[in-house]
Amino acid sequence: MLTASRMQADEPSAYELLLEFLNLTPVGLIQFRPDGTIDLANAAAARMLLPLSDDADLSNLYFVLRNIAPDLPRSIESFHAPMGQICDQMQLAMPGSETVLTLCVNKIGPDTLMAVVQDITLAIAQEARIRNDQQRFRAIFEYIRDYAICTVTADGCVEDWNRSLSRIGGWEPADVAGRTIALFFPDATPAMPATGTALLERARQHGTAEFEGWTLRKDGSLFWGNTVATALPDREGDANGYVLVTRDLTERKQHEDRLVALATTDPLTGASNRRAGELCLSDALTAWERHGTCFALLLLDCDHFKRINDRWGHDVGDKVLVALVRICRENLREVDAIIRWGGEEFLLCLRGAGQDVALSIAERLREAIARAPIEHGRGSLEVTVSIGVTLVGAADRNIDDIVRRADQALYRAKDAGRNRVELDRLPCPAATGHP
Amino acid sequence: MNHATEAPGVPASAVTFDSPDLPRWLESATDDDLDGLPFGLIALNPDASVAWYNKAEARLSGLTPGRMLGRQFFTSVAPCTNNFMVAHRFETEPDLDAIIDYVFTVRLAPLKVRLRLLKRQGSARWYLAVTPRGE
Repeated sequence: MLTASRMQADEPSAYELLLEFLNLTPVGLIQFRPDGTIDLANAAAARMLLPLSDDADLSNLYFVLRNIAPDLPRSIESFHAPMGQICDQMQLAMPGSETVLTLCVNKIGPDTLMAVVQDITLAIAQEARIRNDQQRFRAIFEYIRDYAICTVTADGCVEDWNRSLSRIGGWEPADVAGRTIALFFPDATPAMPATGTALLERARQHGTAEFEGWTLRKDGSLFWGNTVATALPDREGDANGYVLVTRDLTERKQHEDRLVALATTDPLTGASNRRAGELCLSDALTAWERHGTCFALLLLDCDHFKRINDRWGHDVGDKVLVALVRICRENLREVDAIIRWGGEEFLLCLRGAGQDVALSIAERLREAIARAPIEHGRGSLEVTVSIGVTLVGAADRNIDDIVRRADQALYRAKDAGRNRVELDRLPCPAATGHP
Repeated sequence: MNHATEAPGVPASAVTFDSPDLPRWLESATDDDLDGLPFGLIALNPDASVAWYNKAEARLSGLTPGRMLGRQFFTSVAPCTNNFMVAHRFETEPDLDAIIDYVFTVRLAPLKVRLRLLKRQGSARWYLAVTPRGE
Protein backbone atom coordinates (compact mmCIF):
# COMPACT_ATOMS: atom_id res chain seq x y z
CA MET A 1 0.00 0.00 0.00
CA LEU A 2 1.26 3.41 -0.85
CA THR A 3 1.95 5.89 1.90
CA ALA A 4 0.27 9.25 1.99
CA SER A 5 3.47 11.06 1.15
CA ARG A 6 4.03 8.84 -1.88
CA MET A 7 0.47 9.44 -3.01
CA GLN A 8 0.87 13.17 -2.90
CA ALA A 9 4.20 13.20 -4.69
CA ASP A 10 4.05 14.83 -8.09
CA GLU A 11 6.01 12.09 -9.78
CA PRO A 12 4.00 8.93 -10.16
CA SER A 13 5.84 5.75 -9.26
CA ALA A 14 6.98 3.36 -11.97
CA TYR A 15 4.55 0.89 -10.45
CA GLU A 16 1.62 3.24 -10.89
CA LEU A 17 2.64 4.00 -14.46
CA LEU A 18 2.87 0.30 -15.23
CA LEU A 19 -0.57 -0.31 -13.73
CA GLU A 20 -1.98 2.49 -15.82
CA PHE A 21 -0.22 1.26 -18.91
CA LEU A 22 -1.63 -2.24 -18.58
CA ASN A 23 -5.09 -1.08 -17.57
CA LEU A 24 -5.41 1.39 -20.42
CA THR A 25 -4.27 -1.12 -23.05
CA PRO A 26 -7.28 -1.74 -25.28
CA VAL A 27 -6.42 -5.44 -25.47
CA GLY A 28 -7.52 -7.78 -22.70
CA LEU A 29 -4.60 -9.50 -20.95
CA ILE A 30 -5.12 -12.40 -18.58
CA GLN A 31 -2.63 -14.60 -16.78
CA PHE A 32 -4.17 -17.81 -15.49
CA ARG A 33 -3.36 -21.29 -14.26
CA PRO A 34 -4.06 -24.63 -15.94
CA ASP A 35 -7.17 -25.00 -13.76
CA GLY A 36 -8.52 -21.71 -15.07
CA THR A 37 -7.81 -19.57 -12.00
CA ILE A 38 -7.17 -16.00 -13.03
CA ASP A 39 -4.12 -14.47 -11.32
CA LEU A 40 -3.81 -11.25 -13.25
CA ALA A 41 -6.12 -9.38 -15.57
CA ASN A 42 -6.20 -5.90 -16.90
CA ALA A 43 -9.15 -3.56 -17.22
CA ALA A 44 -9.89 -4.37 -20.86
CA ALA A 45 -10.21 -8.05 -19.96
CA ALA A 46 -12.70 -7.20 -17.23
CA ARG A 47 -14.64 -4.89 -19.50
CA MET A 48 -14.99 -7.58 -22.19
CA LEU A 49 -15.55 -10.63 -19.99
CA LEU A 50 -17.75 -9.26 -17.21
CA PRO A 51 -20.90 -9.22 -19.35
CA LEU A 52 -20.45 -13.03 -19.59
CA SER A 53 -20.55 -13.49 -15.86
CA ASP A 54 -23.96 -13.60 -14.19
CA ASP A 55 -22.50 -13.09 -10.73
CA ALA A 56 -19.69 -10.65 -11.52
CA ASP A 57 -17.00 -13.17 -10.88
CA LEU A 58 -13.80 -13.28 -12.87
CA SER A 59 -11.91 -15.70 -10.68
CA ASN A 60 -11.92 -18.56 -13.17
CA LEU A 61 -11.50 -18.13 -16.93
CA TYR A 62 -12.99 -21.52 -17.84
CA PHE A 63 -16.08 -20.73 -15.81
CA VAL A 64 -16.46 -17.30 -17.43
CA LEU A 65 -16.10 -18.78 -20.91
CA ARG A 66 -17.98 -22.02 -20.24
CA ASN A 67 -20.83 -21.16 -22.60
CA ILE A 68 -18.89 -19.74 -25.51
CA ALA A 69 -15.64 -21.68 -25.38
CA PRO A 70 -16.56 -24.98 -23.67
CA ASP A 71 -13.64 -26.85 -25.22
CA LEU A 72 -10.97 -24.52 -23.91
CA PRO A 73 -10.09 -26.55 -20.77
CA ARG A 74 -9.74 -29.73 -22.85
CA SER A 75 -7.46 -28.18 -25.46
CA ILE A 76 -5.29 -26.72 -22.72
CA GLU A 77 -5.16 -30.01 -20.89
CA SER A 78 -4.21 -31.90 -24.01
CA PHE A 79 -1.44 -29.45 -24.83
CA HIS A 80 1.62 -31.24 -23.52
CA ALA A 81 4.48 -29.10 -24.82
CA PRO A 82 6.19 -27.06 -22.06
CA MET A 83 5.21 -23.87 -23.84
CA GLY A 84 3.65 -22.63 -27.08
CA GLN A 85 0.48 -21.37 -28.67
CA ILE A 86 -2.66 -23.26 -27.78
CA CYS A 87 -5.15 -21.24 -29.75
CA ASP A 88 -4.93 -18.22 -31.99
CA GLN A 89 -7.73 -15.86 -32.99
CA MET A 90 -10.46 -18.13 -31.70
CA GLN A 91 -13.67 -16.22 -32.34
CA LEU A 92 -16.13 -15.97 -29.48
CA ALA A 93 -19.62 -14.67 -30.22
CA MET A 94 -21.09 -13.01 -27.16
CA PRO A 95 -24.60 -14.33 -26.54
CA GLY A 96 -27.39 -11.83 -26.89
CA SER A 97 -25.28 -9.16 -28.55
CA GLU A 98 -23.40 -8.34 -31.73
CA THR A 99 -20.12 -8.44 -29.89
CA VAL A 100 -17.42 -10.76 -31.19
CA LEU A 101 -14.22 -11.40 -29.26
CA THR A 102 -11.08 -13.19 -30.31
CA LEU A 103 -9.11 -15.27 -27.87
CA CYS A 104 -5.44 -16.25 -28.07
CA VAL A 105 -3.97 -18.54 -25.45
CA ASN A 106 -0.27 -19.16 -24.95
CA LYS A 107 1.33 -21.54 -22.51
CA ILE A 108 4.37 -19.85 -21.04
CA GLY A 109 5.26 -22.33 -18.30
CA PRO A 110 4.01 -25.50 -16.60
CA ASP A 111 1.61 -23.55 -14.39
CA THR A 112 1.16 -20.34 -16.32
CA LEU A 113 -0.91 -19.41 -19.32
CA MET A 114 -1.50 -16.05 -20.97
CA ALA A 115 -4.71 -15.11 -22.75
CA VAL A 116 -5.20 -12.15 -25.03
CA VAL A 117 -8.78 -11.06 -25.67
CA GLN A 118 -9.73 -8.58 -28.33
CA ASP A 119 -13.03 -7.03 -29.27
CA ILE A 120 -13.29 -7.31 -33.06
CA THR A 121 -16.98 -6.36 -33.34
CA LEU A 122 -16.23 -3.17 -35.23
CA ALA A 123 -13.68 -4.86 -37.49
CA ILE A 124 -16.19 -7.61 -38.31
CA ALA A 125 -18.95 -5.12 -39.05
CA GLN A 126 -16.53 -3.12 -41.16
CA GLU A 127 -15.48 -6.24 -43.03
CA ALA A 128 -19.09 -7.20 -43.63
CA ARG A 129 -19.80 -3.72 -44.93
CA ILE A 130 -16.83 -3.83 -47.26
CA ARG A 131 -17.77 -7.31 -48.48
CA ASN A 132 -21.29 -6.10 -49.09
CA ASP A 133 -20.11 -3.05 -50.97
CA GLN A 134 -17.77 -5.16 -53.04
CA GLN A 135 -20.50 -7.60 -53.97
CA ARG A 136 -22.84 -4.79 -54.86
CA PHE A 137 -20.17 -3.05 -56.87
CA ARG A 138 -19.29 -6.32 -58.66
CA ALA A 139 -22.94 -6.85 -59.53
CA ILE A 140 -23.20 -3.38 -61.00
CA PHE A 141 -19.81 -3.56 -62.61
CA GLU A 142 -20.33 -6.89 -64.32
CA TYR A 143 -23.97 -6.99 -65.22
CA ILE A 144 -25.06 -3.50 -66.02
CA ARG A 145 -25.67 -3.62 -69.73
CA ASP A 146 -25.72 -0.13 -71.08
CA TYR A 147 -22.79 1.32 -69.22
CA ALA A 148 -19.18 0.52 -69.94
CA ILE A 149 -17.25 0.89 -66.70
CA CYS A 150 -13.54 0.86 -66.31
CA THR A 151 -11.20 1.81 -63.52
CA VAL A 152 -8.20 3.86 -64.46
CA THR A 153 -4.92 4.50 -62.67
CA ALA A 154 -3.80 7.99 -61.61
CA ASP A 155 -1.79 8.32 -64.84
CA GLY A 156 -4.75 7.38 -67.03
CA CYS A 157 -4.11 3.70 -67.78
CA VAL A 158 -6.95 1.20 -67.88
CA GLU A 159 -6.87 -1.17 -64.91
CA ASP A 160 -10.14 -3.08 -64.88
CA TRP A 161 -13.26 -3.08 -67.02
CA ASN A 162 -16.66 -4.72 -67.33
CA ARG A 163 -18.29 -6.70 -70.12
CA SER A 164 -20.17 -3.72 -71.47
CA LEU A 165 -16.89 -2.26 -72.63
CA SER A 166 -16.85 -5.03 -75.17
CA ARG A 167 -20.57 -4.71 -75.91
CA ILE A 168 -20.48 -0.96 -76.43
CA GLY A 169 -17.03 -0.40 -77.80
CA GLY A 170 -16.00 -3.81 -79.11
CA TRP A 171 -12.91 -3.64 -76.90
CA GLU A 172 -11.56 -6.88 -75.48
CA PRO A 173 -9.50 -7.07 -72.27
CA ALA A 174 -6.25 -7.56 -74.19
CA ASP A 175 -6.90 -4.39 -76.22
CA VAL A 176 -7.20 -2.08 -73.24
CA ALA A 177 -5.27 -3.52 -70.27
CA GLY A 178 -2.59 -1.05 -69.25
CA ARG A 179 -3.22 1.23 -72.24
CA THR A 180 -4.10 4.88 -71.75
CA ILE A 181 -7.69 6.00 -72.12
CA ALA A 182 -6.68 8.20 -75.06
CA LEU A 183 -7.51 5.01 -76.92
CA PHE A 184 -11.22 5.75 -76.54
CA PHE A 185 -11.20 9.23 -78.03
CA PRO A 186 -10.64 10.09 -81.68
CA ASP A 187 -8.67 13.29 -81.14
CA ALA A 188 -5.54 11.95 -79.47
CA THR A 189 -2.48 13.50 -81.02
CA PRO A 190 0.89 13.94 -79.37
CA ALA A 191 0.65 17.73 -79.60
CA MET A 192 -2.90 18.32 -78.37
CA PRO A 193 -4.14 17.71 -74.85
CA ALA A 194 -6.41 14.86 -75.71
CA THR A 195 -10.01 14.60 -74.54
CA GLY A 196 -9.13 11.77 -72.14
CA THR A 197 -6.30 13.65 -70.46
CA ALA A 198 -8.39 16.80 -70.14
CA LEU A 199 -11.30 14.79 -68.73
CA LEU A 200 -9.17 13.19 -66.01
CA GLU A 201 -7.59 16.53 -65.18
CA ARG A 202 -11.03 18.09 -64.67
CA ALA A 203 -12.10 15.10 -62.57
CA ARG A 204 -8.96 15.45 -60.46
CA GLN A 205 -9.79 19.10 -59.77
CA HIS A 206 -13.54 18.88 -59.28
CA GLY A 207 -14.21 15.28 -58.24
CA THR A 208 -16.15 14.42 -61.36
CA ALA A 209 -16.14 15.52 -64.97
CA GLU A 210 -18.20 14.68 -68.00
CA PHE A 211 -17.53 14.44 -71.70
CA GLU A 212 -20.15 14.06 -74.38
CA GLY A 213 -19.02 13.54 -77.92
CA TRP A 214 -17.72 11.14 -80.48
CA THR A 215 -16.06 8.15 -78.93
CA LEU A 216 -14.06 5.41 -80.61
CA ARG A 217 -14.92 1.76 -81.01
CA LYS A 218 -12.17 -0.76 -81.49
CA ASP A 219 -12.95 -1.03 -85.22
CA GLY A 220 -12.36 2.72 -85.61
CA SER A 221 -16.04 3.58 -85.97
CA LEU A 222 -17.48 6.30 -83.79
CA PHE A 223 -20.41 6.41 -81.41
CA TRP A 224 -21.88 9.38 -79.60
CA GLY A 225 -20.87 8.70 -76.02
CA ASN A 226 -21.37 10.25 -72.62
CA THR A 227 -18.43 9.55 -70.33
CA VAL A 228 -18.38 10.48 -66.65
CA ALA A 229 -15.05 10.33 -64.87
CA THR A 230 -15.02 10.19 -61.07
CA ALA A 231 -11.82 10.63 -59.11
CA LEU A 232 -11.05 8.10 -56.40
CA PRO A 233 -9.38 10.13 -53.67
CA ASP A 234 -6.70 8.74 -51.39
CA ARG A 235 -6.41 9.71 -47.72
CA GLU A 236 -4.95 13.10 -48.57
CA GLY A 237 -7.74 13.75 -51.06
CA ASP A 238 -5.54 13.43 -54.13
CA ALA A 239 -6.86 11.33 -56.98
CA ASN A 240 -5.13 7.97 -56.99
CA GLY A 241 -7.35 6.59 -59.70
CA TYR A 242 -10.58 7.15 -61.58
CA VAL A 243 -13.74 5.34 -62.57
CA LEU A 244 -14.96 5.95 -66.09
CA VAL A 245 -18.57 5.24 -66.98
CA THR A 246 -19.52 5.47 -70.63
CA ARG A 247 -22.98 5.29 -72.21
CA ASP A 248 -23.72 5.01 -75.89
CA LEU A 249 -26.04 7.91 -76.67
CA THR A 250 -25.91 7.56 -80.46
CA GLU A 251 -29.64 6.89 -80.72
CA ARG A 252 -30.48 9.88 -78.57
CA LYS A 253 -28.06 12.00 -80.57
CA GLN A 254 -29.65 10.88 -83.84
CA HIS A 255 -33.08 11.63 -82.45
CA GLU A 256 -31.96 15.08 -81.36
CA ASP A 257 -30.33 15.68 -84.73
CA ARG A 258 -33.60 14.73 -86.42
CA LEU A 259 -35.51 17.18 -84.22
CA VAL A 260 -32.98 19.92 -84.93
CA ALA A 261 -33.23 19.17 -88.66
CA LEU A 262 -37.04 19.35 -88.49
CA ALA A 263 -36.87 22.72 -86.79
CA THR A 264 -34.25 24.22 -89.07
CA THR A 265 -34.92 22.71 -92.49
CA ASP A 266 -37.25 23.63 -95.30
CA PRO A 267 -39.29 20.45 -95.68
CA LEU A 268 -39.60 20.67 -99.48
CA THR A 269 -36.01 21.22 -100.51
CA GLY A 270 -33.97 20.25 -97.51
CA ALA A 271 -32.30 23.67 -97.49
CA SER A 272 -32.09 25.57 -94.20
CA ASN A 273 -35.27 27.46 -93.43
CA ARG A 274 -35.21 31.21 -93.12
CA ARG A 275 -35.05 31.23 -89.33
CA ALA A 276 -32.05 28.88 -89.22
CA GLY A 277 -30.54 30.84 -92.09
CA GLU A 278 -30.69 34.10 -90.19
CA LEU A 279 -28.86 32.50 -87.26
CA CYS A 280 -26.25 31.18 -89.65
CA LEU A 281 -25.77 34.63 -91.18
CA SER A 282 -25.42 36.32 -87.84
CA ASP A 283 -22.81 33.71 -86.85
CA ALA A 284 -20.92 34.54 -90.03
CA LEU A 285 -21.10 38.26 -89.25
CA THR A 286 -19.83 37.66 -85.70
CA ALA A 287 -16.90 35.64 -87.05
CA TRP A 288 -16.15 38.49 -89.44
CA GLU A 289 -16.26 41.09 -86.67
CA ARG A 290 -14.20 39.03 -84.22
CA HIS A 291 -11.74 37.22 -86.42
CA GLY A 292 -11.95 38.91 -89.80
CA THR A 293 -13.25 35.77 -91.50
CA CYS A 294 -14.90 37.20 -94.60
CA PHE A 295 -17.89 35.67 -96.33
CA ALA A 296 -19.88 36.13 -99.50
CA LEU A 297 -23.64 36.03 -99.96
CA LEU A 298 -25.14 34.77 -103.20
CA LEU A 299 -28.83 35.47 -103.68
CA LEU A 300 -30.08 33.04 -106.30
CA ASP A 301 -33.49 33.36 -107.94
CA CYS A 302 -35.13 31.07 -110.45
CA ASP A 303 -35.85 32.92 -113.69
CA HIS A 304 -39.50 33.04 -114.82
CA PHE A 305 -40.61 30.81 -111.98
CA LYS A 306 -44.16 32.14 -112.12
CA ARG A 307 -44.39 31.07 -115.75
CA ILE A 308 -43.20 27.55 -114.87
CA ASN A 309 -45.82 27.30 -112.17
CA ASP A 310 -48.58 28.65 -114.41
CA ARG A 311 -47.73 26.43 -117.31
CA TRP A 312 -46.71 23.17 -115.61
CA GLY A 313 -48.38 23.39 -112.25
CA HIS A 314 -47.07 23.76 -108.74
CA ASP A 315 -45.79 20.18 -108.50
CA VAL A 316 -43.35 20.86 -111.34
CA GLY A 317 -42.46 24.17 -109.72
CA ASP A 318 -41.66 22.23 -106.53
CA LYS A 319 -39.50 19.77 -108.49
CA VAL A 320 -37.55 22.70 -109.93
CA LEU A 321 -36.85 24.09 -106.46
CA VAL A 322 -35.70 20.69 -105.19
CA ALA A 323 -33.42 20.32 -108.22
CA LEU A 324 -31.91 23.78 -107.69
CA VAL A 325 -30.98 22.92 -104.10
CA ARG A 326 -29.54 19.58 -105.21
CA ILE A 327 -27.33 21.24 -107.82
CA CYS A 328 -26.21 23.89 -105.31
CA ARG A 329 -25.30 21.18 -102.85
CA GLU A 330 -23.31 19.31 -105.49
CA ASN A 331 -21.32 22.43 -106.27
CA LEU A 332 -20.75 23.79 -102.80
CA ARG A 333 -18.76 22.72 -99.76
CA GLU A 334 -20.36 21.07 -96.75
CA VAL A 335 -19.84 24.23 -94.69
CA ASP A 336 -21.59 26.53 -97.13
CA ALA A 337 -25.15 27.29 -96.08
CA ILE A 338 -28.04 26.95 -98.49
CA ILE A 339 -31.03 28.89 -97.19
CA ARG A 340 -34.52 29.03 -98.67
CA TRP A 341 -34.92 32.78 -98.28
CA GLY A 342 -38.22 33.30 -100.08
CA GLY A 343 -40.52 31.44 -102.47
CA GLU A 344 -38.07 30.70 -105.28
CA GLU A 345 -35.18 32.65 -103.78
CA PHE A 346 -32.16 30.98 -102.16
CA LEU A 347 -29.43 32.64 -100.16
CA LEU A 348 -26.04 30.95 -100.18
CA CYS A 349 -23.51 31.89 -97.55
CA LEU A 350 -19.92 31.07 -98.49
CA ARG A 351 -17.65 31.33 -95.46
CA GLY A 352 -14.12 32.53 -96.14
CA ALA A 353 -14.85 33.32 -99.76
CA GLY A 354 -13.41 36.51 -101.30
CA GLN A 355 -14.65 38.21 -104.41
CA ASP A 356 -12.94 35.97 -106.99
CA VAL A 357 -13.99 32.76 -105.32
CA ALA A 358 -17.55 34.00 -104.82
CA LEU A 359 -17.90 35.06 -108.45
CA SER A 360 -16.46 31.88 -109.85
CA ILE A 361 -18.70 29.73 -107.66
CA ALA A 362 -21.73 31.78 -108.68
CA GLU A 363 -20.79 31.37 -112.32
CA ARG A 364 -20.25 27.64 -111.88
CA LEU A 365 -23.70 27.31 -110.30
CA ARG A 366 -25.40 29.35 -113.01
CA GLU A 367 -23.84 27.18 -115.68
CA ALA A 368 -24.56 23.89 -113.93
CA ILE A 369 -28.22 24.83 -113.57
CA ALA A 370 -28.54 26.04 -117.16
CA ARG A 371 -26.89 22.86 -118.44
CA ALA A 372 -29.06 20.43 -116.48
CA PRO A 373 -32.61 20.05 -117.78
CA ILE A 374 -35.01 19.17 -115.00
CA GLU A 375 -37.03 16.00 -115.52
CA HIS A 376 -40.62 16.24 -114.36
CA GLY A 377 -42.48 13.24 -115.73
CA ARG A 378 -44.16 15.12 -118.57
CA GLY A 379 -40.86 15.97 -120.21
CA SER A 380 -37.91 18.02 -119.22
CA LEU A 381 -37.51 21.65 -118.51
CA GLU A 382 -34.62 24.01 -118.97
CA VAL A 383 -34.29 26.39 -116.08
CA THR A 384 -31.97 29.31 -115.56
CA VAL A 385 -31.14 31.37 -112.49
CA SER A 386 -29.95 34.90 -111.82
CA ILE A 387 -27.50 35.46 -109.00
CA GLY A 388 -26.61 38.58 -107.05
CA VAL A 389 -23.30 38.45 -105.26
CA THR A 390 -22.04 40.59 -102.41
CA LEU A 391 -19.26 40.43 -99.86
CA VAL A 392 -19.24 41.46 -96.25
CA GLY A 393 -17.59 44.85 -95.80
CA ALA A 394 -15.90 46.86 -93.06
CA ALA A 395 -18.97 49.05 -92.53
CA ASP A 396 -21.42 46.18 -92.21
CA ARG A 397 -23.15 46.08 -88.83
CA ASN A 398 -26.18 43.99 -89.64
CA ILE A 399 -27.27 41.21 -91.91
CA ASP A 400 -30.13 43.14 -93.52
CA ASP A 401 -27.75 45.60 -95.19
CA ILE A 402 -25.69 42.81 -96.70
CA VAL A 403 -28.73 40.91 -97.92
CA ARG A 404 -30.11 44.15 -99.37
CA ARG A 405 -26.92 44.60 -101.44
CA ALA A 406 -27.21 41.03 -102.73
CA ASP A 407 -30.82 41.78 -103.62
CA GLN A 408 -29.83 44.89 -105.57
CA ALA A 409 -27.19 42.91 -107.46
CA LEU A 410 -29.82 40.26 -108.21
CA TYR A 411 -32.17 42.89 -109.66
CA ARG A 412 -29.41 44.13 -111.89
CA ALA A 413 -28.87 40.57 -113.10
CA LYS A 414 -32.59 40.30 -113.86
CA ASP A 415 -32.61 43.69 -115.58
CA ALA A 416 -29.63 42.74 -117.67
CA GLY A 417 -31.54 39.81 -119.16
CA ARG A 418 -31.46 37.02 -116.54
CA ASN A 419 -29.28 33.86 -116.49
CA ARG A 420 -26.52 36.12 -115.20
CA VAL A 421 -24.29 36.74 -112.24
CA GLU A 422 -23.93 40.33 -111.02
CA LEU A 423 -21.63 41.60 -108.31
CA ASP A 424 -22.75 44.30 -105.95
CA ARG A 425 -20.94 47.54 -106.91
CA LEU A 426 -18.81 47.87 -103.78
CA PRO A 427 -15.48 46.09 -104.02
CA CYS A 428 -14.69 43.55 -101.29
CA PRO A 429 -12.93 45.40 -98.48
CA ALA A 430 -11.46 42.21 -97.10
CA ALA A 431 -8.13 42.99 -98.70
CA THR A 432 -7.84 46.21 -96.71
CA GLY A 433 -8.60 44.55 -93.41
CA HIS A 434 -11.61 43.90 -91.27
CA PRO A 435 -13.40 46.36 -88.94
CA MET B 1 -28.37 8.07 9.48
CA ASN B 2 -31.99 7.55 8.68
CA HIS B 3 -32.83 11.19 9.24
CA ALA B 4 -32.18 12.91 5.97
CA THR B 5 -32.12 16.35 7.55
CA GLU B 6 -29.28 15.31 9.81
CA ALA B 7 -27.25 13.86 6.98
CA PRO B 8 -24.89 16.82 6.49
CA GLY B 9 -23.90 16.60 10.12
CA VAL B 10 -22.84 12.97 9.89
CA PRO B 11 -19.05 12.65 9.81
CA ALA B 12 -17.67 11.04 6.68
CA SER B 13 -16.20 8.15 8.61
CA ALA B 14 -19.70 7.18 9.74
CA VAL B 15 -21.27 7.17 6.27
CA THR B 16 -21.78 3.69 4.89
CA PHE B 17 -21.61 2.45 1.31
CA ASP B 18 -25.24 1.42 1.10
CA SER B 19 -26.79 4.10 3.24
CA PRO B 20 -29.99 5.45 1.71
CA ASP B 21 -28.84 8.90 2.80
CA LEU B 22 -25.61 8.75 0.85
CA PRO B 23 -26.97 10.75 -2.13
CA ARG B 24 -28.20 13.53 0.12
CA TRP B 25 -24.98 13.49 2.18
CA LEU B 26 -22.93 13.82 -1.00
CA GLU B 27 -24.86 16.90 -2.05
CA SER B 28 -23.47 18.98 0.76
CA ALA B 29 -20.14 17.18 1.21
CA THR B 30 -16.88 18.97 0.47
CA ASP B 31 -14.03 17.26 -1.33
CA ASP B 32 -12.31 16.89 2.06
CA ASP B 33 -15.43 15.16 3.35
CA LEU B 34 -15.19 12.73 0.42
CA ASP B 35 -11.61 11.91 1.38
CA GLY B 36 -12.81 10.90 4.81
CA LEU B 37 -15.21 8.24 3.50
CA PRO B 38 -14.33 4.65 4.49
CA PHE B 39 -15.01 3.40 0.92
CA GLY B 40 -13.84 4.38 -2.54
CA LEU B 41 -15.65 7.25 -4.20
CA ILE B 42 -15.13 8.91 -7.52
CA ALA B 43 -17.01 12.11 -8.37
CA LEU B 44 -17.54 12.71 -12.07
CA ASN B 45 -18.47 15.82 -13.95
CA PRO B 46 -21.41 15.32 -16.36
CA ASP B 47 -18.89 14.91 -19.21
CA ALA B 48 -17.53 11.85 -17.36
CA SER B 49 -14.27 13.53 -16.41
CA VAL B 50 -12.97 12.93 -12.90
CA ALA B 51 -13.91 15.75 -10.47
CA TRP B 52 -12.63 14.02 -7.33
CA TYR B 53 -10.89 10.72 -6.64
CA ASN B 54 -10.99 10.03 -2.93
CA LYS B 55 -8.24 8.61 -0.77
CA ALA B 56 -9.91 5.27 -0.12
CA GLU B 57 -10.22 4.68 -3.86
CA ALA B 58 -6.59 5.69 -4.32
CA ARG B 59 -5.52 3.15 -1.71
CA LEU B 60 -7.55 0.48 -3.45
CA SER B 61 -6.32 1.18 -6.97
CA GLY B 62 -2.75 2.32 -6.38
CA LEU B 63 -3.36 5.45 -8.44
CA THR B 64 -2.49 8.99 -7.35
CA PRO B 65 -5.70 11.07 -7.02
CA GLY B 66 -4.20 14.31 -8.34
CA ARG B 67 -3.19 12.63 -11.58
CA MET B 68 -6.70 11.34 -12.16
CA LEU B 69 -8.44 14.74 -11.94
CA GLY B 70 -9.87 15.88 -15.25
CA ARG B 71 -9.32 12.53 -16.99
CA GLN B 72 -12.15 10.77 -18.75
CA PHE B 73 -13.08 8.15 -16.21
CA PHE B 74 -14.55 5.42 -18.43
CA THR B 75 -11.78 5.49 -21.00
CA SER B 76 -8.67 6.83 -19.28
CA VAL B 77 -8.97 5.82 -15.63
CA ALA B 78 -11.09 2.69 -15.32
CA PRO B 79 -11.70 1.26 -18.79
CA CYS B 80 -13.08 -1.89 -17.17
CA THR B 81 -16.26 0.13 -16.57
CA ASN B 82 -16.61 1.25 -20.17
CA ASN B 83 -19.47 -1.07 -21.07
CA PHE B 84 -23.24 -1.23 -20.88
CA MET B 85 -23.13 -2.26 -17.23
CA VAL B 86 -21.62 0.99 -15.95
CA ALA B 87 -20.70 3.71 -18.45
CA HIS B 88 -23.78 3.21 -20.57
CA ARG B 89 -26.07 3.48 -17.56
CA PHE B 90 -24.50 6.77 -16.47
CA GLU B 91 -24.78 8.11 -19.97
CA THR B 92 -28.38 7.09 -20.62
CA GLU B 93 -30.29 6.97 -17.34
CA PRO B 94 -31.48 10.35 -16.01
CA ASP B 95 -31.70 9.20 -12.39
CA LEU B 96 -29.58 6.44 -11.04
CA ASP B 97 -29.07 4.85 -7.63
CA ALA B 98 -28.08 1.26 -8.21
CA ILE B 99 -25.76 -1.18 -6.51
CA ILE B 100 -24.20 -3.83 -8.74
CA ASP B 101 -21.63 -6.56 -8.30
CA TYR B 102 -18.58 -5.97 -10.38
CA VAL B 103 -14.92 -6.87 -10.76
CA PHE B 104 -12.16 -4.31 -10.73
CA THR B 105 -8.71 -5.21 -11.89
CA VAL B 106 -6.96 -3.16 -9.25
CA ARG B 107 -3.25 -3.84 -9.18
CA LEU B 108 -4.01 -6.24 -12.06
CA ALA B 109 -5.66 -8.79 -9.81
CA PRO B 110 -9.38 -9.27 -10.31
CA LEU B 111 -11.04 -7.89 -7.22
CA LYS B 112 -14.72 -8.47 -6.55
CA VAL B 113 -16.35 -5.20 -5.68
CA ARG B 114 -19.76 -3.66 -5.28
CA LEU B 115 -20.39 -0.49 -7.18
CA ARG B 116 -22.98 2.11 -6.35
CA LEU B 117 -23.96 4.24 -9.31
CA LEU B 118 -25.39 7.59 -8.28
CA LYS B 119 -26.75 10.26 -10.55
CA ARG B 120 -29.47 12.81 -10.10
CA GLN B 121 -31.04 14.78 -12.84
CA GLY B 122 -29.73 18.34 -12.81
CA SER B 123 -26.99 17.53 -10.33
CA ALA B 124 -23.52 18.86 -11.13
CA ARG B 125 -21.81 15.56 -10.26
CA TRP B 126 -22.21 11.86 -10.76
CA TYR B 127 -20.79 9.49 -8.14
CA LEU B 128 -19.35 6.03 -8.32
CA ALA B 129 -18.85 4.39 -4.93
CA VAL B 130 -16.65 1.30 -4.69
CA THR B 131 -16.32 -1.23 -1.93
CA PRO B 132 -14.73 -4.69 -1.91
CA ARG B 133 -17.20 -7.53 -1.77
CA GLY B 134 -16.71 -10.30 0.77
CA GLU B 135 -17.25 -13.90 -0.30
